[in-house]
Amino acid sequence: MKRTPITRIALYLVLFAGAVVSVAPYLMTLNSAFKEPAQVLTTPAWQPAFPVTFDNFAQVWSEYDMAGFLLHSLIYAGVVTAGQVVFSTMAAYAFGRMSFPGRDALFWGYLATMMVPQIVTLVPLFLIMREFGLIDTYLGLILPTAFGTPYGIFLVRQYFRTIPRDLESAARIDGAGTLTVLVRVLLPLSRPILATLATITFITTWNTLLWPLIVTNGDATRVVTLGISALKGQYSSQYHLILAAAALALLPLIVIFLLFQRHIVRSIALTGLK
Amino acid sequence: MIDNITYDGSVRGHRRAEHRLRARVRTVAEAYALLAPSLAGFLLFLVAPIFGVAALSLFDWNLMGAPSFVGLDNYRELAADPEVWRAVLNTIYYVVLNIPAQTVLALLLALALNRRMRGGKALRVVFVLPWMAMPVALGIIWSWVFDPRYGVVNQVLGTVGIDGPNWLTDPAWAMPVIASVNVWQYTGYTMLILLAGLQAIPHTLYEAAAIDGTTPVQRFFTITLPLLRPSLFFVLVTNTIGSFQIFDTVFVMTQGGPGGATDVLNFHIYQQGFQLFRSGYASALAMVLFALILLVTAAQFLYFRKRTVYDFS
Repeated sequence: MKRTPITRIALYLVLFAGAVVSVAPYLMTLNSAFKEPAQVLTTPAWQPAFPVTFDNFAQVWSEYDMAGFLLHSLIYAGVVTAGQVVFSTMAAYAFGRMSFPGRDALFWGYLATMMVPQIVTLVPLFLIMREFGLIDTYLGLILPTAFGTPYGIFLVRQYFRTIPRDLESAARIDGAGTLTVLVRVLLPLSRPILATLATITFITTWNTLLWPLIVTNGDATRVVTLGISALKGQYSSQYHLILAAAALALLPLIVIFLLFQRHIVRSIALTGLK
Repeated sequence: MIDNITYDGSVRGHRRAEHRLRARVRTVAEAYALLAPSLAGFLLFLVAPIFGVAALSLFDWNLMGAPSFVGLDNYRELAADPEVWRAVLNTIYYVVLNIPAQTVLALLLALALNRRMRGGKALRVVFVLPWMAMPVALGIIWSWVFDPRYGVVNQVLGTVGIDGPNWLTDPAWAMPVIASVNVWQYTGYTMLILLAGLQAIPHTLYEAAAIDGTTPVQRFFTITLPLLRPSLFFVLVTNTIGSFQIFDTVFVMTQGGPGGATDVLNFHIYQQGFQLFRSGYASALAMVLFALILLVTAAQFLYFRKRTVYDFS
């Protein structure tokens, strides 16, 4: 296709504008979190923080249990991610590589539930947790998503099916059992997809509001989404505080995203091609 | 042991069949052992609650005492409740504000990025950055950005002499502002999926069409759009299902206000179920949301099935 310089410049302008809009809210938030309280209100958001102050962070850290919120979210997201990776991998191996009666019906059952909105399960899920005495406990928080979600199983299964069967047969002839084949042959080859699954699960769980809102109510289990939305409710106009808190809640995500961005970008691109 | 030195064919065959059967039984046992944890979680925390919610919707229960069976009364009540109708319309309005804007923007960006260019890879990463943000934190940031006095938007509007509205307390503006969070968050993600779809279109088609003297606009409508339909279908279906479940930003930014202008179904269900403890009524509302999503998804399937060109690889 022929391109004139003008259309080329227009293209770059559109892309540049898109890039600015994508990062501006992050940068403005971080910038304002470093400003003095009065300056957050009196200076425009794009004006660089000067003088730079860490007081806002110190204040949310000492006066509110920000460290606690972050720690509780780390426990929640960490355990769910570990469970998701281990149990999704096991189930994906069974679905993708073994034949057993009921396999296809079960797999379709898993896929069908991906259509069900989350809110549909919440009232009964709350009642189940209450029956087990797990309200306001980490177990109650973690259990519903810790055994592997249909999405996770689907993702890993599709990947397993691209690995040549010969590798597995060779190991079987050498006398390897199912578990050995899974751990020694398939897992080393599946690192990219497992990294993707772990990253996406961690991010999703870290960001979850609704389930923690319903199943927890105490200080010892308060995750960061609940912590900062309560701050917002209490100090809605004290932007220096709530922006610093929002920045702290987003920071771990940005670190993880930048570490694994290659996997994430590729896996999103692939989701539409299935 | 004796079997090992018996060369009689029938005995050997029998042994082999028995061996095969035992191996098969072991495989099935192993498969179910691998599946056990996920299956337990699936049945207990997903399948049981789905049946549970359908059953609960036929009861009146405030979570204390015994539930009382009321048949279809919850459904009758919600059908006559103007707040429910408002919540349904608000949800649809949110989806309508959201999906077309996000899809069109994503398509434009994908078309612009669909070429070899310097910095293309880095741009992709930048565009996906919003996708991983915590909606609760975004709700806080957007409340600040749209603050009537201290927000960036009204500051910028002020420099060109426009007196911006009180965005989040204005019933006409609150919903578009909330929708803009989601458009910002998912446009890059949608763009990436559409870009992958664009890159799967064989380049020879464009060359052949160019030789035939077609214009770029004609090529877009006769080649790009038809062949992109599977990807478009995927993003429309999944993003629509996601949009119907909007909750976090409403919870943080408006709590359904002002005057119910952003009271969407998910938020209404949460209030009925977990603030007013009307678990039966909330379950019936959840069934309505589920039915609404199924209906819209089915409509999208029917529309696209007629027009989609599948399998071009």
